[in-house]
Amino acid sequence: MASIVAKTKGPVRIGIIGCGAIAEGAHLPAVLSSPHVELTALSDLNTSRLEDLRRRYRLGPIAFRDYREVVGRVDAVILALPNHVHAPVGVELLSRGIHVLCEKPLALTRHECEHLCQAARSAVSILAVGFVARFWPSTQLLKQLVASRFLGELQSFDYEFGSPGGWSPLSGYNLARSTSGGGVLVVSGSHVLDQMIYLFGDVDVTSHADDARGGIEANCRTRFAATVDGRPLRGRVVLSKTHQLPNRLRIVGEHGTLEARGSETRSVTYLPSGSTLRHEITAAALPPADAEPDYFQLQLHDFVNAIRTGAAPQVDGEQATRSVVLTERCYAIARALWEPWCDATLERLARAGPHPAPDAAAPRPPALASAP
Amino acid sequence: MRAVRPRRVLVTGATGLIGGRLCEVMALTGAFVPRPFVHTTGSAWRIARFPLEFASGDLCDRAAVDRAMDGCDAVVHLARGDDAVMRRGLENVLRAAARHRVSRFVHISSVAVYGSEPPPDSVREAAATRPDLPYGHAKLQQERRVLVYRKRYGLDVVILRPPNVYGPFASFTVGMVNTLRSHSVAIVDDGRNPCNLVYVDNLVEAILLALWRPEAPGQVFHVTDPEPVSWERCITDHAALVGVDVPRVAAVELAPPARERLWRDSLRALADGEVQRSLARIPLVRRWFQWLPEPAKQAVRARLRRGEPVRRRGSTERRFSSDHPFIAGQKRTVPHSSEKASRLLGYTAPVSYDEGMRLTEAWLRQTQILDVLVTRSTSEAGDPSSGTGS
Repeated sequence: MASIVAKTKGPVRIGIIGCGAIAEGAHLPAVLSSPHVELTALSDLNTSRLEDLRRRYRLGPIAFRDYREVVGRVDAVILALPNHVHAPVGVELLSRGIHVLCEKPLALTRHECEHLCQAARSAVSILAVGFVARFWPSTQLLKQLVASRFLGELQSFDYEFGSPGGWSPLSGYNLARSTSGGGVLVVSGSHVLDQMIYLFGDVDVTSHADDARGGIEANCRTRFAATVDGRPLRGRVVLSKTHQLPNRLRIVGEHGTLEARGSETRSVTYLPSGSTLRHEITAAALPPADAEPDYFQLQLHDFVNAIRTGAAPQVDGEQATRSVVLTERCYAIARALWEPWCDATLERLARAGPHPAPDAAAPRPPALASAP
Repeated sequence: MRAVRPRRVLVTGATGLIGGRLCEVMALTGAFVPRPFVHTTGSAWRIARFPLEFASGDLCDRAAVDRAMDGCDAVVHLARGDDAVMRRGLENVLRAAARHRVSRFVHISSVAVYGSEPPPDSVREAAATRPDLPYGHAKLQQERRVLVYRKRYGLDVVILRPPNVYGPFASFTVGMVNTLRSHSVAIVDDGRNPCNLVYVDNLVEAILLALWRPEAPGQVFHVTDPEPVSWERCITDHAALVGVDVPRVAAVELAPPARERLWRDSLRALADGEVQRSLARIPLVRRWFQWLPEPAKQAVRARLRRGEPVRRRGSTERRFSSDHPFIAGQKRTVPHSSEKASRLLGYTAPVSYDEGMRLTEAWLRQTQILDVLVTRSTSEAGDPSSGTGS
């Protein structure tokens, strides 16, 4: 795919704030191999992590523990911090005229998102949000096919995405709602919600059930309603972080079904009604299979182009706010998933606990002077 | 649910089947306050559903284990892993437990310490251990190390030996479903032998009891479901969920184990006429064969003439391997008894086999594991966020 960066100026000085797994696995390679940016700062609270990255990637003295130290050294940053600090750090940097490409989700709440968008507008800085799946050819294809009424009247859509475990942030921020903002609906679902809004416009949630029990949910089942071409469209989203699901989006219409698989970023499958045939649809300008682009670099170049030209990035703050609003709405109406295997035996198992209550001051073994 | 004063328990292996359920039950009943020790945060989704205090790190990192132990009253050690985790990881946990003077150390071992063909007296825990596979050896070494800490440092250790753990999230259960679906398991000799099952909640009950019952320290307990369930019943019940028929074979019809096949397959290659003619042209081989005594010559000829292995009844294509865990397991004739756990710990195994299977089925259906399409897609890359999440 040809570069979309306007070739009018020198490289953009860029910093990466937050050097966890996504920074090393995706952003750092995209930055280091791009001719349009120059890495001028890395920041993380974990100084040994910083030093390790600096040594392994043979970087100069560009590592800073305090993110504020990047001011003056960068034109733009990639914000890859834990979700709960996207807003405070992003607002501060945007206010200082630094352009921000923020990892998804933009922030934990609608209020935080609006604060970020306001800071970007006030400082005339670019705020882009890292929904990298938007750069997949399959997403763009789906958008074109839905917009062109390829399926005729749309009847339903169905997202089923799940795999046991997965992404492991080094800081472990993903294990608490206070730092992650939610569970699978935020981690996997934010991509789904963003794509759903991109494809179908305004979407509302009609029901949401998940398995959070004071922590973050690992599984959820959510139903949505939209209006497409003046007609109601209903959809379902099933997400899991404990078990495998088919990992596909299915859009059912009058003429057949479109299927987009999570593993296939380049094409979608069309299953015509009343036929057993499967047609693979690809974009006309698709690069060869062995030249799969680095989608994080495409996202980076889109960000750089927005900085240079003032054009809106593929996903700006306002768009990203919509998926956060939808997430908030889901959590607001959440009910518990039915899990008999979790609850049915609890009363009996509770009897195996100590009785009377365990005493924290209960006698311990003698002092182990020779303990290892 | 009655109110109990919380007691903090470090749970290693907390992201696994037993550790995950243990943390859930502790959190939901309030019997104890679990502190899950987590190696990979991406594997902790099941227990992150609860507002728990996590400790993260590597069990082989002594300082990380020591930090995690701080403030804990007891330990349940469930972690499994490579040799380093099994040895050094355990040593670190034991050392930290002794240093912090925890009141109880519950170590989860396995009936694998009795080997693939347990001795008849392994109905009880006093039987001699004789592991023959790496996992059983590792578990036995761990047991010995745990008991050293009791003897040397007075650590109140308890060792539990469960058999096949089934239920929601169990690899035994999911493995059985997938094996049945791939038609690679058969009922051998009518599946008469005991399956030695324990429903995961029953094992959790035993762990909770082992954490505080005064009779527990220094003891080794089998933890099994008291209701005898044969392999035939277990396989047939799972097959009904999957919707497949299970073939029945006699033990003599099984493909021999890999170790035996190595010898037999080599001989079979030698039985090929062309190979024999080639060998016969080698003077040294000819001379060696002539030197053999007549009975040995006859034995070699008989070996070389041995025919093709017997195949499954009604099929000329598929064989069942006696190495497969669900077939090898059917050779185990001994029902390991949890009578000692009942007597000393008050273990009740509150979930019957029928209820356990009902709950398992509910989980299998909700997770769509019984859905063929899902299983097919497991080999494909998955989550839209994999590699894209922050």
